[in-house]
Amino acid sequence: MEELFEDIEKLVRTEKRVAMATLVATRGTSPKREGAKMWVGEEGRILGSVTIGGCVDARVIAESERVLSSFESRLVEMKLANEDAWEIGFSCAGDLDVLIEPIDLTSSNANLFDLYQSVRKAIDGGRSAVIATSLKDSSFKLLIVEGGEVSGTLGTPELDREAQTVATELMRKRSSGTVSLANDSLPVFFEVHGPPPALIVFGAGHVAMPLISLAHDLGLKTVVVDGRPRFATRERFPDVDELLIGIPSEIAETLAYTSSTFVVLTAHDYKYDLPVLRVVLPAQPAYVGLLGSKRRGKAIREFLKDGGMDETLLEQLHVPTGLDIGADTAPEIALSILAEAVAIKSGKSGRRT
Amino acid sequence: MPALYSDVLLDHFRHPRNYGSLVAPDVSSEKFNPLCGDRIRIELKLNQTIITEARFKGDACAISTAAASLLTELITGTQIEAVAALTGDQLIAALESNIQPARIQCALLPLEALRAALSERRTV
Repeated sequence: MEELFEDIEKLVRTEKRVAMATLVATRGTSPKREGAKMWVGEEGRILGSVTIGGCVDARVIAESERVLSSFESRLVEMKLANEDAWEIGFSCAGDLDVLIEPIDLTSSNANLFDLYQSVRKAIDGGRSAVIATSLKDSSFKLLIVEGGEVSGTLGTPELDREAQTVATELMRKRSSGTVSLANDSLPVFFEVHGPPPALIVFGAGHVAMPLISLAHDLGLKTVVVDGRPRFATRERFPDVDELLIGIPSEIAETLAYTSSTFVVLTAHDYKYDLPVLRVVLPAQPAYVGLLGSKRRGKAIREFLKDGGMDETLLEQLHVPTGLDIGADTAPEIALSILAEAVAIKSGKSGRRT
Repeated sequence: MPALYSDVLLDHFRHPRNYGSLVAPDVSSEKFNPLCGDRIRIELKLNQTIITEARFKGDACAISTAAASLLTELITGTQIEAVAALTGDQLIAALESNIQPARIQCALLPLEALRAALSERRTV
């Protein structure tokens, strides 16, 4: 479950009114991405963070208390470079915009709370959802659920249609952010939520075991697929969410692949690798990694190419899978694979910056 | 040095015949090798005493895949009794390759699935 919904559940039990602070825009260096949230309860409880702590969060808390007093939303601009820490070289060099909105958790008319309930329902059903909020008047909100379901409004049908187009693209990227609509006259924050990222591992061998454990710790939904019941066991994979035994490529056809799905083939056996890749590569998940050498990867690519697979799809195959960190043991290989998968998903190179 | 696998075997592996599933097979059976992970399913359509259609599906090695492909060709349109008499040696011979003892089981897996499917018919 997303941390957001865990926080809401905690707050509903303990607070009557809360301020919800959302990082809606960043310029320059920022430790957190758009969509990060902090909750400040009227009774003093604080959950989450829009930065990594420090003086900015302290200012958000102070602003949140003002919002709770007035019970009116505020958009707060913060210039990190102006902080005192900058003077001695310890500051990040970016600016943040934080939208702070009050929520009455006791009111039967708590629209914002209901909105998040709708988002959660969509996610539980395996769909993404986007809340589009006007930054000129945050009471104008539009909920867009993957598949076309829409509720609320940003003010006009034209704006709502424009927002739906933007939301569809952001759902694909799984990235929240502020986008100006209506010929650049209206900034709107698009808050994107989606089902948890998933790792599907084909091949229940010894590398798959630490791979699943580590992915579980990272909060990924995990699936292991193999044709051998003796390998794909609960004893070997105590943390796995799903163990699927059968013809791997046939099972692969039944699974859902999204922009948050990582696929790793660890069987190191062409009899699984070739048929599974024929299914998985065209589905274009976030990452497809294959255990094996460059030489083996070249042979696999050539075989698939001879079979008619498009070269652009073959370029999506990462082989050898994993960042080059000198991994030797199975847990080290698992770490390198997940590090590469996360880097690819985030559009990063995996190099030290 | 002679090639390990014959052109017949390689052709059936690269271009398997009758690969896929039947909409409503009369009998079917899936068999697997618990260690190497070869897994083959055979599906059949029967008309009284004749196998009218055969399909196979599976993720398996070149020998197993080629054997399954070849087997479905051999049995389509054939009397069930004649198919039941088909031996492992006959299937291996049809592959025209020097299958090593350690890989005999790979070649025989589809035949095992076929026999299990036909025995399902007898027990219905």
